[in-house]
Amino acid sequence: MLRLPLVRATGLSSSRLGAVGLHTTGSKSQASQELVEVFIDDKPVQVPPGTTVLQAAAKAGVEIPRFCYHERLAVAGNCRMCLVEIEKQIKPVAACAMPVMKGWRVKTNSDLTRKAREGVMEFLLVNHPLDCPICDQGGECDLQDQSMAFGNDRSRFTDIEFSGKRAVEDKDIGPLIKTVMTRCIHCTRCIRFASEVAGLDDLGTTGRGNDMQVGTYVEKMFLSELSGNVIDLCPVGALTNKPYAFVARPWENRRTDSIDVLDAVGSNIVVSSRTGEVLRILPRVNEDVNEEWLSDKSRFACDGLKRQRIITPMIKIAGKLQSVAWEDALVTAAKALQTVAGNEGAVIAGKLADAEALIALKDLFNKLGSEVLATEQGFPKDGSGIDLRSSYLLNNTIAGIEEADVVLLIGTNPRYEAPLVNTRLRKGYLHGEQTIALIGPNIDLSYEYENLGDSIDIITKLKNGSHPFSATLKNAKKPLIILGAEQLTRKDGAKIVSETQALANTLGNNVQASEDWKVLNVLHTNASQVAALDLGYGSTIEDVKQQQPKVLFLLGADDANIKKEDFPNTFIIYLGSHGDQGATIADVVLAGAAYTEKTGSYVNTEGRAQQTGAALTPPGMARPDWKVIRALSEIAGHRLPYDNITEVRSRLEEVAPHIVRYGDVEPANFFAQAHELAKQTGGSFLPDPVDIKQKTLDQFFMTDVISRASPTMAKCVQAAIKQRQTEL
Amino acid sequence: MARVIGLDKFVRLIQIIRHNGGIFKSLRALYLREELKIGTLVGEDKYGNRYYENNEYFIGRNRWIEYADHVRLEYDASQVPVEWYGWLHYKTDLPPHKDPNRPKYKWMLQEHEPNLSGTNKIYVPYSTTRPKIEAWKP
Repeated sequence: MLRLPLVRATGLSSSRLGAVGLHTTGSKSQASQELVEVFIDDKPVQVPPGTTVLQAAAKAGVEIPRFCYHERLAVAGNCRMCLVEIEKQIKPVAACAMPVMKGWRVKTNSDLTRKAREGVMEFLLVNHPLDCPICDQGGECDLQDQSMAFGNDRSRFTDIEFSGKRAVEDKDIGPLIKTVMTRCIHCTRCIRFASEVAGLDDLGTTGRGNDMQVGTYVEKMFLSELSGNVIDLCPVGALTNKPYAFVARPWENRRTDSIDVLDAVGSNIVVSSRTGEVLRILPRVNEDVNEEWLSDKSRFACDGLKRQRIITPMIKIAGKLQSVAWEDALVTAAKALQTVAGNEGAVIAGKLADAEALIALKDLFNKLGSEVLATEQGFPKDGSGIDLRSSYLLNNTIAGIEEADVVLLIGTNPRYEAPLVNTRLRKGYLHGEQTIALIGPNIDLSYEYENLGDSIDIITKLKNGSHPFSATLKNAKKPLIILGAEQLTRKDGAKIVSETQALANTLGNNVQASEDWKVLNVLHTNASQVAALDLGYGSTIEDVKQQQPKVLFLLGADDANIKKEDFPNTFIIYLGSHGDQGATIADVVLAGAAYTEKTGSYVNTEGRAQQTGAALTPPGMARPDWKVIRALSEIAGHRLPYDNITEVRSRLEEVAPHIVRYGDVEPANFFAQAHELAKQTGGSFLPDPVDIKQKTLDQFFMTDVISRASPTMAKCVQAAIKQRQTEL
Repeated sequence: MARVIGLDKFVRLIQIIRHNGGIFKSLRALYLREELKIGTLVGEDKYGNRYYENNEYFIGRNRWIEYADHVRLEYDASQVPVEWYGWLHYKTDLPPHKDPNRPKYKWMLQEHEPNLSGTNKIYVPYSTTRPKIEAWKP
């Protein structure tokens, strides 16, 4: 695709394209067309018509140098680095913007091509400072690499007196991105990313020729939940990572492939570490999950891993937590556990818990006879509850969201709850003419949507067909319902689930889409949630409060919103990595590992099992969570039968085999059965309007212990609040 | 004749053993200092260290210290107080009690401090850099 549907990109369209006939399936018909043959350096390649020369060359295995072209952004064609010679054409052409014609012979390494590249490179370097030794992009700079590979070996630049080399003032675009605008080569990737993917038309160019500048027009910060991606996109050092400025060179870092756990998307990341510190986090390409983007929280919250850490076990002595040796802490905790019989013990699992710790803790408490295993974000028990996986997964997969033609969001703000799900929705909106509607408060989703109101009984109205939007929904070929997991913690959560299931079922029955199109989707916000539900953490926090257990085990539960007053006679054990709400109310604190310090399994919101990699060792006396639980079990007299991670995982495999099939989505398909069971659900909707916790950008940055401990995230919150106040 | 058959060495040994107070005391001195010497006691400091001189030995070995008995094998050159240091190292030939002209400045240590390495009073430097991981303080 060469050009975006510009009307949508600029946000000028006003009428909703509700009629189904308007939805195009252009991409499919293109594939069936005949292929054309072109020759790249005399090598024949068959490509579909409309392919650019650059893409055809890539197919032939020839990489044409480029700066402005990026496969996930619209084509700009302004850097001219990709000029190639085509036989029987007088002038070299920009390969990234030129669609191939039948029989073209492209010469990517001819004299003309090389001369053109060298010329372009010379011009770029004339206007680029020679500050590579102090530039943070050094080592991963496209300009550096390509000037070595494709540039001339001598320069005609003679202005050694510095009488007037181009210089541009730096911009302050927020606490995350450092700008050195003199280095900018005007590729406009950041501008295109902002307007196409992030949906923020803040960046643009002013002036032309030598006076061209990339900036924000007025003095303003570039604040978005995806702003960090422009750092990766920038081919030079104009936009660099501010917290990482002058910290390390890329070749001296150790890179560990891992998974992000700060939201439930499970973005693939690379953890860059050196000298026992996580220095930065970069995205890793996974077309099914995060493409190549990463949300700002996942990217920049890594400095929270160094602060507020629990590095020793602690015991509450005389009302105050004091550091002790492992032996004392474990014995104290085990003594408390030994008093537990039946349901007198309870567990609340936090949002960052890995599946290994979850299964170890479940096994331990089941051995003690307890079944009160809760997650921070409960799932209603009525109907099929958590027995059928299809009722709590984002069944249609994250990549599948793009294909939908009508999307109904119920009580969720994907922009902040799962920014990389929102990019899929925006992509569907821009390229697939998706119609999106929301039940919930008025929020900015970065694309146009229809707000159906914030009353929860709209779901029933949509099901009955008494709502004006239900016609659009019924006529949709590929409808999608995305239910925010946050709504399920409401008192009428069970009713919401059953009504949504009923709505999805009625839509599913008249959908002509293929069998595996799944209408019902739940968007989680907690990384541990799906794995916990898969393993049978079926209780809610309300259950735990009612139970008044003798011993309460908090597995990194800091957002459970529980207070010491709720459990006056309970012995609270906390196992986690950061000192936060959970640790302050605990009687025994056990030091656990954060996600960069352990190999842990996580299941993301679509049911995809992935594992984190241990980039570092846990700090101080902290140990991986499941090992602590295993040690505790032995002292408490209920030894768990696994001694290493392989054995834990084979136990995981016994309970939920999909959790150890890393990289795969385990689909679930029992919608009809879940719907049948849900019919018994009684109750009615409460009159409370649908509310969403994360409505504005400042609420996005701090949602878990790691991001709350991060100074960078604190700066972001301040910046977001300041920006909003100046806009008002 | 006695020199030829080495009898004088034997006589000397007897003298040294007698000077050191008999066989057992000599063995103890050997155990502590690994040598037996004859010398005149020049003086004793307040810590109990005894200083000897015997100019029959060549320079470098003619002045020595026998550390106080209570330190046993835990003796260390830093236990020599400043006033005796000069005499022991040939900076002066006058031992402190025979030298009236020794200056006494205010800044001088009132009490001699030996090196405390290896004891529980050892000096431990602390880091002034910020720790990489900041612990949570409840």
